[in-house]
This record gives sequence, structure tokens and C-alpha cells, in this order.
Amino acid sequence: MENTLEIQGLSKSYGKKQAVREVSFCIAPGEIFGLMGMNGAGKTTLLRMLATLLKPDSGDAYIAGNSIVQAPEKVRACISYLPDEAGAYRSMTGRKYLAFFAGLWTKEESEQKICVQRGEEICGLGDDLDRKIRTYSRGMIRKLSLARAVMCKPKLAILDEPTSGLDVLNSLDIRQTIRRCAEEFGTAFLLSSHHLHELETTAHRGAILKDGCLLAEGTPAALREQFGAETLEEAFERAVRNT
Amino acid sequence: MIHVLKKELSELYNKQMLIGLAVSFVLIIALGVLMTGVISSDMLGGGVVHIVDNDKTGFTQQVQAQLQEWGYTVDTADSPEAGFTEKDWADATVLPAGMTALLDAHQPCQIECVEVLRSTSAFSSAGNADVVQAAIRELLTKEYLQGDLAFLDAPAELIPYTYANGKTVQAERSAILSSVSLFDRLLPLALFLLVVLTAQTIITAIATEKTDKTLEALLTSPVSRSSIIAAKMLAALLVSLTYAAVYALGFVAAMLLTVSGQNTEDLEIGTALADMASVRQAVLELGIDIPVLGWVGVLAQLALTLGIALTASVILGGLTEDAKSAQTASMPILLCTMFPYMLSMVSDIRSMDGVGQWVLYAIPFTHTFVATEAMHFHDYGLFWGGLVYQAVFLGVLVLAALKLYNSDVLFTGGALRRKQEKV
Repeated sequence: MENTLEIQGLSKSYGKKQAVREVSFCIAPGEIFGLMGMNGAGKTTLLRMLATLLKPDSGDAYIAGNSIVQAPEKVRACISYLPDEAGAYRSMTGRKYLAFFAGLWTKEESEQKICVQRGEEICGLGDDLDRKIRTYSRGMIRKLSLARAVMCKPKLAILDEPTSGLDVLNSLDIRQTIRRCAEEFGTAFLLSSHHLHELETTAHRGAILKDGCLLAEGTPAALREQFGAETLEEAFERAVRNT
Repeated sequence: MIHVLKKELSELYNKQMLIGLAVSFVLIIALGVLMTGVISSDMLGGGVVHIVDNDKTGFTQQVQAQLQEWGYTVDTADSPEAGFTEKDWADATVLPAGMTALLDAHQPCQIECVEVLRSTSAFSSAGNADVVQAAIRELLTKEYLQGDLAFLDAPAELIPYTYANGKTVQAERSAILSSVSLFDRLLPLALFLLVVLTAQTIITAIATEKTDKTLEALLTSPVSRSSIIAAKMLAALLVSLTYAAVYALGFVAAMLLTVSGQNTEDLEIGTALADMASVRQAVLELGIDIPVLGWVGVLAQLALTLGIALTASVILGGLTEDAKSAQTASMPILLCTMFPYMLSMVSDIRSMDGVGQWVLYAIPFTHTFVATEAMHFHDYGLFWGGLVYQAVFLGVLVLAALKLYNSDVLFTGGALRRKQEKV
């Protein structure tokens, strides 16, 4: 089966600072891929390049066969991006917010309705969807944003620290939603996180970034084995400290 | 684009905005009512003359009667201080004791004019002592120049002529000015409000989207970026037009209230209409009237200026780091609008000399501020040159905006400056 995402030697620098150095990896349909790295390792830059917000200095990536350099418009038609600590339009109700983004994805009203219904079901906010978003808690906004990101069944959902700042139960809900959407819709997920236990229990595979370089890549079990560790957290520590 | 536009409008037209707009409208009207009172009672004296008669003779009574004949209300007090403290006068004209005796002896007398200093406001009272002086002169003229010697009052009549566009017509310059300048004065005000409001609206909207990171979600959706930019610009334009319309209506209503507060009892409508017709004829003869094609050009300049303000705001909003700095980001547009606006109100930019004029002409908005002037006085080179310049300026800005929204700068503009930027 063709990979949903194929990254080929992506690099990006800000002035003299090399943020991402020749990173390459692939993600299959329905696969959940976790990016691990310290602050400033290059995770957000990599995700923003794949979301077509930043242009790579060199290399390319193909999402559903479309180049992020040559055909960013086509790429945007098959991805969704959830930035770190993203807010939502505070004056809208949750339902209108979902309807607005569904309208960006398709002009067909019947399809828009299906997307919105799916989003409502995914976020599980019930009657709260009729309230203004300004009244929502951080956890509710995150659930709504995630629903927005996956309701139209994108080929690839790019999530930057999706559970950042959330409590245990909200984080659990978000992880379950990601797993369910990957299984049901075949959506591939690329997510970054500092919660390595979260990646260990959610991601099928993952990669460790340090100073923009890809240090290691594989399943949680393979990464543990590669660094002779019992947990992913331990493997990450050894990878980052010893290289 | 329509879908994004609806969202932008629903964001901008909210309850707070409508309440703010309604409050502004009421405040402007209230200002008009207040100004009516200030102008009629303070600046014009409200037709009231405050007299302290220390002479108390038949002649001083005649002076007061003459003032009443001229339509003034005469209010008296025993002393200026009594008038100020008990009647809240702003001025007092004192007819001194012995005044009539001096006049009978053909000696000049002195009338004291006392004005109250309560504030440093430029609209402070100027008093009505001059009309008292005029009343005394009138009475003495009647007394000493008995008979048909009225021509001595005006031995030579002034016939006003106005020269413009190489022609001379018999009409007062001020009458011609007031007949053509209403729109000339309203246009810069409306333009100033529109540009400033538009800039602030759009820059704040984009900066807020950047802070909330909703812009990233929007720009990664399957909608062309030019549509997103166009929708934001159009929404900001509609909101600004709403603001400008409400403000302009408020100002016009306030102006009408102010004017209606003046004494118009003596106005004869037939005479006024005849005067208007003759002034209109003079305007046509001088060629000051703007033809239809000219108005189309003026509106085109207005549209171009708005387009420039919108596009520049989109660029500045994109370069703004967060909502807090949005106000500062709109300063360049505010200044570029304020300078030509203020200068066009107090001087003729077209007749300025040297570098200053070229600097002003380099600001595209200047050309709209002087557009009607250029049309009135047949400065077609300046008018059409300004129009072309604004069109080129707008084209360059649109290209720059598209480039910005397709570049990294939108998200990395602050990254190189901020150490804490995520990598």
C-alpha cells in the first residue's frame, strides 16, 4: 500500500540556526506516528513544513503522492493541522465552528452535514456545542479542535502536542479519539508530544529528534530494544544524552 | 471566499460592536446638542446683551431700547459681579455714570467690557460690547444727522468678484466656497475615518488569529490564500463602511442640530433661494463644478485609497506578532492618513513648495485628499497622475501581500527576534 506520508531529506534553517537537518521517514495509512524531542529539537518546524506553512530549504515530502513544495494546494486538500495550544473562534458556538471548517472542505451541503455530525460525535460535547466557544474550558476547546481536524477524514492529521496542558481524563479522551479515527477512517496521524508514555500507548511507531536530526525511528518496542531500555522514556533519555 | 467572508463578518459584527456603534452615534448627537448650547450661549452670546447701567438716564434707556429693536435681549444687573455670581453671566457691558453728560458735551465716553475667565477654552465668550457701541453710534447719528443723510452710513458700496480658472464672475468668494465645499469637507473626514477604522479592524483581526493560532488552521485548509485575504479585506471594508456611515450620519445630524439652533427667524426663504441660484450660476461660469466623469475619477481615487489601506493592513497584520502590538502596527497607516488630512484642512497642498510637497505626494492617500481640489481648479495632471500612482501602488502592495501569505515570514517574522520561539 502506498504510504500516506513520505519525507525525503527535509531541511530548514532560521538564519544560522539549523532547525531540521535532512529528516526522512514514512507513515502508512491509519498509522499513528509520534515525534519525540526536547524543546527546540525541530518538531514544530517539521510539522509546519508538512502543513505547508513553512517552505523547506531542501528536500521534499509527499502526502498522498502530492509534493509539499510543488503542489501545496493539493497537499492542503488532504491534510489537517492542529497547532500547539490552538484556540478557536471565540464568538462562534462549537457547532458553528465545526460547520465553518466543514464548509472549507466541501461545497456540498449534504457532505458538510455529514462532516459536522461526525465532528459532533467525535468531540462528545453534546449540548455544549450550542454555547459560545469563549465559555469553553481548555479541554473542551482541544476536543473540539481535534474533532475539527479529523471530521472530514483527512489522509494525514498533523497534531502538535495535542494533549499539552490537559488533565488526565481529557488526555485519555484525546488519545482514544486519535486511535479510533486512525482505525475507522484510515487517517494517518503524525503527532508530537513530550509525554512519552502517551506515545508509547498510542503511537504505532515513533522517531526521536535532536537538534533537527533524526536519531532513531521505529516501534516503541524497537526503540526500547535499540537503546536497551525498559520504557520509551528511558530509551529517549539514552538517545538524547548519549548522542 | 463567500464562506470565509461570512465567518469574518460574523466575527466582526458582534453584539459589542453594535452596542459600541450605537453608543458612538448617541454620543455624537449629544455632542451636537451640547455644541448648539455652547455656540448659541457662549460664542454668539445667544442674542443676549448684559448691561450694567450706572448712568441711568433717558439716553441709556434708549440704548437698551435700540438693542431690543435689533433683536437682542437685554439683561441688566446692579454690578458686573452681581451678574456673574447671581445670573451666571459670562460678560458684562458697563455704561459708566456721567456717560450721557460726556456725550452731550461732545466728549467721547468709555464703556467698560468685563469678561469672565473661567477656562482656557478657545470657545470662551467674546462679549457683546461692540453692539452696545453700535447702538450708541446709531442713536447719535439719528440725533445729529437728522434728515435724509442715511447715505453717510455707507457712502461706497462694495461689489464682490471672484477670479478662478482664468475667469472672473460677480459673486462673493465665501458664498462660492460654501456652496462647493460641503462635500470637499466631508470627503476627507469620511476618508480619514474609513482608512483608520479599516486598518485597525483588519490588523487586530489578523493579529488575534495569529495569537489564537486559528490562522494556522485556516491557512492549512483547502482554500486558496488569495480567497482568505480577499475575504478578510472585504469584511473589514464592510465593517469600516458601517462605522463611517454611522459616524458620518451622526456628524451630519449633529451639524444640522447645531445649525437649527441658530437664529433663523429673519431668514427669507425666497431671498435665500435666489442667492443660491446666483451662486450656483457663478460656480458654473467659473468652471469650478465637477463634471460626472470627474466624480467617477474622485470615487476611483477613493476606492484605490481604501484598497491600499486594506492591503497594507493585511500586510501589517501578517507581520504583527500578537494582538497586543496591533495598535502599534496600525501607526504607519494612521500617520500616512493624518498628515495629508490635517494639512489639507489647514492649507493648500497643491500650492506648497519644495520637498515637503513631494513627500506628501509620495503618500498615496494625499491624492484622494486633494482630488476634489484638483478637479475644481482643473489641475488634471495632478488628478490623473495621482490616480495612476495609487493604482500602481495598490498593484505592488497586492503582490507583496500575496507573497507574504505564501511565505515563511508570516510565521517566522518574529522567530528570529524571539529566543523563546518554538523550533
